[in-house]
Parts: sequence; C-alpha cells; structure tokens
Amino acid sequence: MSDLLDQSPEIEPLREQRLGPLFWICVGWLSLNVLGAIFANVLPLVNPLYQNYNAINAGPSLHHLFGTDDLGRDILSRVVFGSRVSLAVGSGAMLIGFGIGMPLGMLAAYRRGRLDTILTAVMYVLLAFPAIIAVIAVISFWTPRTLFKIIVVIGLASVPLVYRVIRSATLAVATKDYVTAAKVQGSTDRRILFRELLPNIAPIAVSFLLIGVATVVTLEGALAFLGLSVNPPTPSWGNMINESRTVMAQNPWLVIFPSLALCLFLLCLNFIGDRLRSYFDVTEVKL
Amino acid sequence: MSERLLEVTDLRTTFRTVTGSVPAVGGVSFDLKANETLGIVGESGSGKTVLARTIMGLQPRTNVEVTGSVLLNGHQVVGASERTMRTMWATEVAMVFQDPMTSLNPVMRIGRQIDETLRVRLGMDRRAAHDRALELLTMVGIPSAQSRYRAYPTELSGGMRQRVVIATALACSPKLLIADEPTTGLDVTIQAQILNLLDSLKQQLSMSVILITHDLGVVATRASRIIVMYAGRIVEMGDTRDIFYHHRMPYTRALLESSPKVTNTPHTRLAVIPGRPPNLSTPHPGCPFAPRCAYATERCHVEAPTLVAASAPGHRFACWNPLTETDHPEAR
Amino acid sequence: MSDERRPLLKVRDLTVTFGKGAHAVSAVAGVSFDIYEGETLGLVGESGCGKSTTGKALMKILTPSSGTVELDGVDITHQRGRALRHARTRMQMIFQDPISSLNPRRRVRGIVAEPLDAWKTVTGEQRDRLVDELLNQVGIDPEVYGDRYARQFSGGQCQRISIARALAMRPQFLICDEVVSALDVSVQAQILNLLEDLKAEYGLTLLFIAHDLAVVKNISDRVAVMYLGRIGEIGPSEVLYEAPAHPYTKFLLGAALEADPESATTGAVLEGEPPSPLDPPSGCRFRSRCPYATERCAIEEPVLTEVAPGHQVACHFPFIAQ
Repeated sequence: MSDLLDQSPEIEPLREQRLGPLFWICVGWLSLNVLGAIFANVLPLVNPLYQNYNAINAGPSLHHLFGTDDLGRDILSRVVFGSRVSLAVGSGAMLIGFGIGMPLGMLAAYRRGRLDTILTAVMYVLLAFPAIIAVIAVISFWTPRTLFKIIVVIGLASVPLVYRVIRSATLAVATKDYVTAAKVQGSTDRRILFRELLPNIAPIAVSFLLIGVATVVTLEGALAFLGLSVNPPTPSWGNMINESRTVMAQNPWLVIFPSLALCLFLLCLNFIGDRLRSYFDVTEVKL
Repeated sequence: MSERLLEVTDLRTTFRTVTGSVPAVGGVSFDLKANETLGIVGESGSGKTVLARTIMGLQPRTNVEVTGSVLLNGHQVVGASERTMRTMWATEVAMVFQDPMTSLNPVMRIGRQIDETLRVRLGMDRRAAHDRALELLTMVGIPSAQSRYRAYPTELSGGMRQRVVIATALACSPKLLIADEPTTGLDVTIQAQILNLLDSLKQQLSMSVILITHDLGVVATRASRIIVMYAGRIVEMGDTRDIFYHHRMPYTRALLESSPKVTNTPHTRLAVIPGRPPNLSTPHPGCPFAPRCAYATERCHVEAPTLVAASAPGHRFACWNPLTETDHPEAR
Repeated sequence: MSDERRPLLKVRDLTVTFGKGAHAVSAVAGVSFDIYEGETLGLVGESGCGKSTTGKALMKILTPSSGTVELDGVDITHQRGRALRHARTRMQMIFQDPISSLNPRRRVRGIVAEPLDAWKTVTGEQRDRLVDELLNQVGIDPEVYGDRYARQFSGGQCQRISIARALAMRPQFLICDEVVSALDVSVQAQILNLLEDLKAEYGLTLLFIAHDLAVVKNISDRVAVMYLGRIGEIGPSEVLYEAPAHPYTKFLLGAALEADPESATTGAVLEGEPPSPLDPPSGCRFRSRCPYATERCAIEEPVLTEVAPGHQVACHFPFIAQ
C-alpha cells in the first residue's frame, strides 16, 4: 500500500488574506453607533426633547458639541437618539426580510419543481411593483404611524429582493456534486440545507444583509424626509434632516450632523459588506 | 529543410505573486525546424502552457518577468512591444487553445470572425475575405460551409468549434502553429479527426507545429521530436523513438509506465509515481523530480542536473542517475 | 467463471427522458445489463451517449422514466423516502470533478463522517476511529490533514477523500463516474490502483464509467459500449478489445491513441459526429455513421444478441470470427 500514500510533503497553504485596517475602523464606528443607540439613556446626554430657550440655533460649543436647533434642543443628543430609529428600522426590517425570504429562497432553489416555479412567479410579480411607492402608499394610509408598522412594511417589501438573491446563491451551490453526494449518502434534506448549503451561501447572505440594512436606513431617511416616518418630536436622522431644510442657511449644523451620521453609517455598512464578500469568496482565495 | 524557424535560448518566465516569485519556465532552450512537428509533454503545472504563451509573446507586461531569447523566423519576441507582436501574430505564429468556446466570440457569427482577421491583417476587401473564409472552413473539413458560415459558435459541437478555431488560426498562413491541448475535452473519435486534420494541414501549408499535451498518446505518432517538461524545465528531449524506447530520465519512464495501455490485461497494476509535482514558489536547489524519484541520491537533492547529450543525435536528458539502455525491456 | 455468478444489480429497459413532448430527449433509451457480484463493469462511450445519465439513474439521482433497477433482488426503482435513502447507502457514487465533490467549507474529517452522522450508525469515539481509519486507507494522513478544509487539497487528494466518504457506509456497489479524467497521468495511476485495492478489501462491485478506453480496459472485467443512449456491445474486456463485434466499438478502439510511435495511425477514422439525441436515426442508431449500414439497418432496430458466451452485440452485421 506504500505506493498509494499521498506523500506530498507540502500542502497548499491558505493564502493569508487580511481584512485590513479600514475594515476594522468601519466595524469600530458601527459598534460605536450601536452602543450609542442602546445606551443612549445612560449616556451623559441632555434629553433630546428638552427645549433650552436660552440657546436657540446655537453653533457647536462646549455645552452643545453639535449645537442646538431652533427649539434649543441639543443636536448631539438628538443624533444619538435618532440613530435608534434608523438602527431599529434597519435591523428589524432585515430580520423580517431574511426571516421570510431566506428560507423560501433556499427551499425553492434546493427543491426546484413546482414549489420553485410558483414562489418565483409570485416574488417576481411583487418585484415588478415599485417597492418604494408601495411602502409610501401603505404607510400613508395605515395610521397612526408607529415604528413597528414601518418596520413591518419595509421588511415585507424586502422579502422578494432577499428571496431572489438567496435563491440564485443557493442554485449555484445546489448543483455542485457535493450536494448530490450528500443526497446519495442518505443525508436528510434538513441536514443538506443546514450542513452543505447554508455555510456556502452564508457569506453572500451576510454581505447582502449589511447592504440591505444600509438600503433600509436610507429608505427610512427618505420616508422621514417626506414626513412619513415616526412622528416628531421623536428624532430620527431622516426627520432631523427634513425639519432642518428650511433653516439650512441660518443653522447649517442642524443638517450637517445628522447627514454626516447617516453617511458614515451607510459607508461603513457598504464597505464591510463588500469586504466580507471578497474575503469569504472561496474561489478568489483559491486562484 | 534544416532552416531554423524558432530558436529558444535560456527562456525564463517568472511570475511575481503575493507569496513570492514563481519560476513557471526556468531556463528552456530548444529549436524548431521548418515543417516539423514538435511535441511538448508534461503534467499540469509543468510550465508547458506558460512556455507556449511566452513564445507567442502573450505574457502580460505586469508581474511577469521574461528573460532569455525567442527568435521566431529571425524576429526577437522577448521584450517585443505588443505593436511589434501584432505584426507577427496570425502571419508568423498562431495559436489554438484548449477550449474552443473561450477562443471564439460567442455573439459573433463564425464566418465574420474569420473575415475580420483576413480584412484587418491582409487588407482583403469584403468579397475576397468572404470567399477566403469559406475556403478555409471547407479546408478544415466543415460540411456545408456555406450555411455554417452564418452560425454562432454555440450552435456547433465541440469538434466543429475546434475546426473553426483552427481555420481562424490558419487564416493568414502562419509559419508556426502552436496547439495547446487542442483535443483535450473532445471525444476519442473526434480527437482522431482533429489530429489527422492538423497533420494534413501541416503538409498542405508547409508550416511547423508545436503540439502541447499531457497525453503521450497524442504525440506518439504525430511528432517527430518530443520535449518532456517537468516543473518548468526540460528534463528530456529527443526524437520521438528515442523518447519512447531509449529514454534516460526516470520521469519520462514513470510517465510512460503510469499511463494505462489498451493492450494491458484487465487489473494490470500500474506503475505509480508517488506524490505530486512540486510547488514552484518554494525553490528547490536540486533536481525537481528528486523527491518522487526512485533513483534519487544525495546529489540529486542538492545539485540540479543540466541537459547532457545521449548517444543518439539530438537526444538530451537532465539526470544524475540516468537509466541505461539495458533498462528498456521494450526497446526494439 | 461468469455463469455461476450472482447478479448484484439487474438493470432492465432503463430509460431516462429529459423534457416533454416534442422536446423530449431520451438520454438513455432502453438499457439492460447485469452486474455480477465482485466484478467491475466498464461503461464507455463518447460524450452524450448517456453513460453518466445511466449511472445517475441507477443511484436515482435522476428518475428513470421507465424500466427497473434491482439491487440484490430488490426493486429500488419505485422506492421513496427512507427506504430509498437506505437503499442508497448500499450503493455509492464518486463523481468526475474532484473539487466540486467536496464542500469547500467543511473539514476533511467532517466530510468523511457525514454519512455516519446522517445515519448515526456509529457515534462518539468509534466514529472518530472509523473516520481516521478510512482516511488512512485512502492514503490521507488524518493526523496531518484531517482538520484541513477541503479547498486546500489538490484534485487527486480530493478524489481520495471522496472515495473515503463513499466507503464510510461500507457499500456493496460503487459507481465511479469519470473519476480519473480530471487528473494528471501520474495521479490517475495512483487512484486506479487505490480503487483496485479497496475493491479487494471491501469486496466491492464496481461500475466504472469513463471515456478513456485504456483506463477502462485496465480496471474492468467486462465492458459495455454505449452509443446514443443504447448499449451496442457488451462482453468480457479482453474479448471485446481483441475482437470487437460492433462496428462502432471497432472504430472507437481504432481511434484510441496509444503511447507508442509504432502503433498504426492509418486505421480508419470514424467520420462525422454523433447525431442529436433529439432526433435519433431510425433503426440502428449508429447507422448514420456506419460504413456497413444497409437498408435493413434503417428499418429494423438490432437487439442485443449473444455472439459468444457472455458477449452480446446489437448489430445486424456483427464481425464474428468464423
């Protein structure tokens, strides 16, 4: 048997691929955002609704690092509290979108046949409907508007998109020989879905999830800008920008800080998503 | 007849990668006469394809270092600009790749792909190019060329596509045709057709052919001389009969013996080369085959052998412990 | 030696059809053969002849549209669910592409253990020991490579791991679908020898599907030649290679390249290409390329007939040594 041994001494080492410092800076910034949103109550911040009439439309100072708005409310505090809405909408909606879209997409791609045909047809019909208009329509009529309703509506609207991405990712994996091999060995469908398919589509799912969160946060901003998000005075990045557009000339801080927060947040999400995708891409590593 | 069409001297192609430099071709010298078929044999990673692309001047300028000399019909290829190479491609040298699908444009009718070469390179007018393209398609044995002229590559079978690729390569009557695994992936009967076609075209157009393959069977009856490559170097070269019957390098023998033969009785135990070809990015001082060689001695691991002449003219091998002539039971 | 042997696998009139209506293509069109216990049957043919489809239909990866497959006297054609999953553990299949046969995101030990975990036949320490033993048998050192990811291996190593996985459930019957065609010559020899050793050790019965005639001859006791979804000839390897009775077999063997400069190249080359299975020729499917075809071949379809013990040919005018 000795001639059968694969005696090759060396084995291809996995190419060390690094995520890079910029990736970690982005992760750091995002964590700061998330922590800020969670612990906003405990942080030494002024109540975002407290109106200080002694400091109206004040520029940045030691008392108010980001300045105050036309009602004398602290902008720093409002930006931090405002991130709660953005984060809640972003993660909540994606939770719904992936919770429904991902299992459906995987199942359809793995099972194929009639289930796939029907599901895909339904999803494509939904996709053909302009999502933003649908969301606006539903939210305008489904009053009173609460954060929960907004999350549900955006979440449902994202299902077909998630479904399409996950389905095509799964399709690419499901035709591989190792899936057939697992079937042939007598593995159950559940084992195949979780052991063979999920790990291979997870990287795509994660990066799409991050980019999805970014898109939803933007969408919330757009809705708020149209006055269709959470009702004032509750701050959100979107409605802060919306409210400040009339006083932009007098008090630029009012629009700069929430916009900056939104931009950086989205930039980080997109960068991390993109970086993760290429990091986990097995073929890119291999070749 | 003995005019040298191609002279390759100490050719080295080194790739610079993140993990270090990889000498894919490490000092190769050989020449090719006009109207000769040369076979280059090696396993994957032996550098045979890189060698072919270097001779074609197809290596990218970045991250690849090419030294040595490739004289093609008197023109230097190493260091030549792409503009210079353009004047040589198609008219001096042309190439047929392994996968015909990737060397044809899938959204262009096959006739137009040949037309284009003719019009751009030879300055033919539309009419003449069309007629010549039809002629070429007929020459490579495509039945009802007139109707296939307007077909898209996807509408043809693998064998037919490879014929189209050959027609495109021959459009400007090159003096040298490099065929890189032209029949890998084709069926046995189609493979025989294509090899016969290449043979007859070579005679018809009096060109030289370099036939690159991993399959000794492909070159056994088609090539007049054979080069055996291993880990980017030539380990043995010589007339086909010398390589098959009087080889001196243990690797050549191992390659011959490990391939199953139609004449074997069922359940014949195959001779096996243990291990795998070396990783070129980690430099080895000695003979690249030493770790897998049954005859390797101390010296083989520290000092790389150079090509030395064997008794037959033109037969050279690189080995410290060559097989003797008596080691060949099959010698005739 | 062939008569008293028991057929382990009986295939009768197996047909696999893709598509519907006018676009229906019978990739396998009525194939019958037996595989005897302990033998290796080679299945050769050109691409599109249905050899891989036959293998997949036996494993029920593809559903046959008609015909039966009997394993050890039990008809598995109509089994579903758990019964089918169970039947499959007695048969295993190894695929052509070594890289895509292994999940790149799993470690070697996990891949080999997958069938054991799916069936929970052995667990705990016993399972770990069995996995390491299997890896040792295929020449992969479990201590060194056991915890590596599949994507770190070369083609030959991947194929070894696939073999270990296939043997985990101790199958009786193994289908090898072009398992060496993606490998280098030297690695190919390693895998072929390994298969022979494991066959002896596990008492396996093999169906070896390949396009390379030399490889098939080397490993098979009997060989079946397929053309356009049908079996043209089946017989003991040496008889079939020495004295092919079907014209197609003769041409196929004539086209096989031998690594010998003195082998004849002047052998007649088969002209043309296989016709589309969408529209197969009437009568004998080979007649459109056969130089010996007559009117009878266009009208009457030849059936497999015995020309010598164990040697069957589907041709109206077979070459038979008088």
